[in-house]
Amino acid sequence: MNDSDVDDRPPSAAEAQDLIREQRALASRSISPDPRTLYWPWSIAWLVGFGCLYLRFGPDDQVLVPMPEWLPLTVLYVMMAAALVISGVSGARHARHIKGDSQVKGATYGFAWFLGFAGIGVSAGRVSDLLPPAETGLLWAGLSVAFVAAMYLAGGALWGERDMVILGVWVGVVNVVGVLVGPGWHSLIIATAGAAGGLVAGYVAARRLNRGS
Amino acid sequence: MTEPLDPVIHAQARLRVVAALSALPEGDLLTFPRLQEILAMTAGNLSVHLRKLEDAGYVEITKTHHGRTPATLIRLSRRGRLAFDDYTAAVRSLLDGADPTGST
Repeated sequence: MNDSDVDDRPPSAAEAQDLIREQRALASRSISPDPRTLYWPWSIAWLVGFGCLYLRFGPDDQVLVPMPEWLPLTVLYVMMAAALVISGVSGARHARHIKGDSQVKGATYGFAWFLGFAGIGVSAGRVSDLLPPAETGLLWAGLSVAFVAAMYLAGGALWGERDMVILGVWVGVVNVVGVLVGPGWHSLIIATAGAAGGLVAGYVAARRLNRGS
Repeated sequence: MTEPLDPVIHAQARLRVVAALSALPEGDLLTFPRLQEILAMTAGNLSVHLRKLEDAGYVEITKTHHGRTPATLIRLSRRGRLAFDDYTAAVRSLLDGADPTGST
């Protein structure tokens, strides 16, 4: 006989149900990245980056904290690049043990992030010099946040993640409102409402994953 | 109760294997070491149960290579997924039904 005889014992119905729930939750946690690593780096990037942008280019051309014109956008984009790397690595690391459809989906989705940001960078970079500094900031900021919002929606659709779809809609709407209200306000809105949305979404998604539902 | 529970799945270890694999999206395969890690089983023990599940047509095992290292990939077959769904439904109806012990 072999060593599997011990656990060949049939479970009771209640045991079976618990076993199924536990095992599925455990497996889901093991094959999905921690949602906090996907959302929180972006929230922190926005909080700090848009915070700086707001302080330098406040509403009505106010300078709340003096700093070089180039600094806030640089901080924002460096932090967003870091967020892109952290969330990308976290996703890819978990995908290592899974082959098949999800692998292709994940790689394509990851590539879309880079391609999108490359397009935004080239386009905004080309017209930046023609605009006043505050409007330049708004152009880069509005485009990048709109793109992130759209990617959250696409990601939510790909993996059936409701939290991601809700966050995408929230960030997208808040971004449009911010751009319409104008420079300064946009930074403030994204640094607070946008970043908070990501923090909440990460928290909710992580709890959902741990509960295994 | 009406029908007996599927004997292939209705054993602690194999139920755990099938439940874990059912969490994987359809069209995806899981590596053997990761499945082993999720289930905390020895490689030998897991292989035995996987073979039984494969014999029943519930699990598909693919041997492949990553560079030089061989890799074993596992997934539930469509039949396995159906069997697992039937099993969960049966367990639920047992629990909802009159028999509170619901054993075997």
